[in-house]
Amino acid sequence: MSKWYAEKGSQSETVISTRIRLARNIDDFVFPCRLDKEGKAKVNELVKKAVFECCGDKYSYISMKDLSHLQAVSLAERHVISPEFTSCEEGTGLIISDDESVSIMICEEDHIRLQVMKSGLALDEAYKIADETDSALDEKLSYAFDERIGYMTSDPTNLGTAMRASVFLHLPALTACGQINAIANTVSKLGLSIGGAYGSRKKPAGDIYQISNRITLGITEETAVANLKSIVMQLINQERSAAEREIKNPALEDKIYRSLGVLENARMLNADEFMELISYVRFGASAGLLDIPVERINALITDMQPATVAVSNEDADTVAKRDARRAELVRQALAG
Amino acid sequence: MLCQNCGKYEATTHIKQIINGDMAETHLCPDCANHLGYGDMFSGFDFSLSGLLSGFLGDMLPPVSLGPVTRCEKCGCSFDDIARAGKVGCPECYRTFYDRLLPSIQRIHGKISHAGKTGQSAGNREKIETSGEKIAKLRVQMDEAVRVQNFERAAEIRDEIKKLEGENINE
Ligand SMILES: [Zn+2]
Ligand SMILES: [Zn+2]
Repeated sequence: MSKWYAEKGSQSETVISTRIRLARNIDDFVFPCRLDKEGKAKVNELVKKAVFECCGDKYSYISMKDLSHLQAVSLAERHVISPEFTSCEEGTGLIISDDESVSIMICEEDHIRLQVMKSGLALDEAYKIADETDSALDEKLSYAFDERIGYMTSDPTNLGTAMRASVFLHLPALTACGQINAIANTVSKLGLSIGGAYGSRKKPAGDIYQISNRITLGITEETAVANLKSIVMQLINQERSAAEREIKNPALEDKIYRSLGVLENARMLNADEFMELISYVRFGASAGLLDIPVERINALITDMQPATVAVSNEDADTVAKRDARRAELVRQALAG
Repeated sequence: MLCQNCGKYEATTHIKQIINGDMAETHLCPDCANHLGYGDMFSGFDFSLSGLLSGFLGDMLPPVSLGPVTRCEKCGCSFDDIARAGKVGCPECYRTFYDRLLPSIQRIHGKISHAGKTGQSAGNREKIETSGEKIAKLRVQMDEAVRVQNFERAAEIRDEIKKLEGENINE
């Protein structure tokens, strides 16, 4: 089955993907940080049963401790699970839909972390799916909820709607012209957060950013989503006008074609070099300079992350072999 | 644990992220976290930032505990446990320690009035209240009991109020 991220989404020149995450807890149980092994096993069973009863057979359940470390990290690279969840502690589980667009982490920080991912800018659609799935689960499980503080979560920063909406954006022009820092400051004053989606937060790999709502109490899901959407639309427009200016620079045009040249011919590619070059190529493709579908580039960015390359190729057991394998896969993808 | 950046102060911010095919953890003191751009309040990213709440609550820990420590009846957490972990132990903790959690929740969110989706279990339990609100409600009930000359009930309510007020002074 093809994965959600291989599809073409709205505003796909700039927006790579959209994610909605809801945190929920079952009222009768203490939160995972205080819950013993038996309790966690019970929560896993309850959630599993609820999902399979209400949502049918398009889901599978994985006990995290059955995964190898690389398999778990690969899931985190694909943003299916959080970095913490890669420690695969006993009693943690994952329910995932066939196309990986809907997933549920069981006994992460909260009993339930329900997540919906969509290609491109699709906040309303993603929220609708998350909301419907959540309501169906609420029929079967009794959630910890209070009229005043909303959904009760292990971390009080998530109280209220317990919803985190995120949009992943490719902003090469705003990064190149240095405006991104000023934008990040403004965005954080508006109650949103922005940071690198890959690698370390200070130096976002591939000029890919994640922007999310921060406030969850005293605001409706619809308003939070609408606010985020309006800021994202402004960022898209700013990126577009910056791109129009930047693309006239012959040095940038040169860099784009050189990057493509390297990616089409290299025999060894490490992850950092790949991210740097693919960002230029994606820039060229979204500006209409190169005739490569952006969704193919998006899928490539996801598939070429270190653990994901290692997992999909059992022979690639050394860094050198992985770099060679990455170069081979990139050549194939760019050749169409 | 000491801050990995300056090596001088206690690390309160713990960041987990995926770098080069593995999970990397960074531990920073509040100053360095701010300086390196991890200062904004945030915990739902693909890196996770724990310690925000413990940063807030840490300021409020009393130097020596006065009297017996209050613990959540359901999970056994004391307020110290919550402040240190930056995490609440169970839904009941919010009821037990609401007065003391309130200032931090206010600092994080601004408003304390849920406006979003309502869970189906809403109304099954009493709404969370501060002890001030509980006392105000009990006073009305006590006055009513006195008015109908149910002095026994009024005395019970008076004791309950005293107990709530006592907890307030202790904490
Ligand atoms: Zn420091
Ligand atoms: Zn508790």
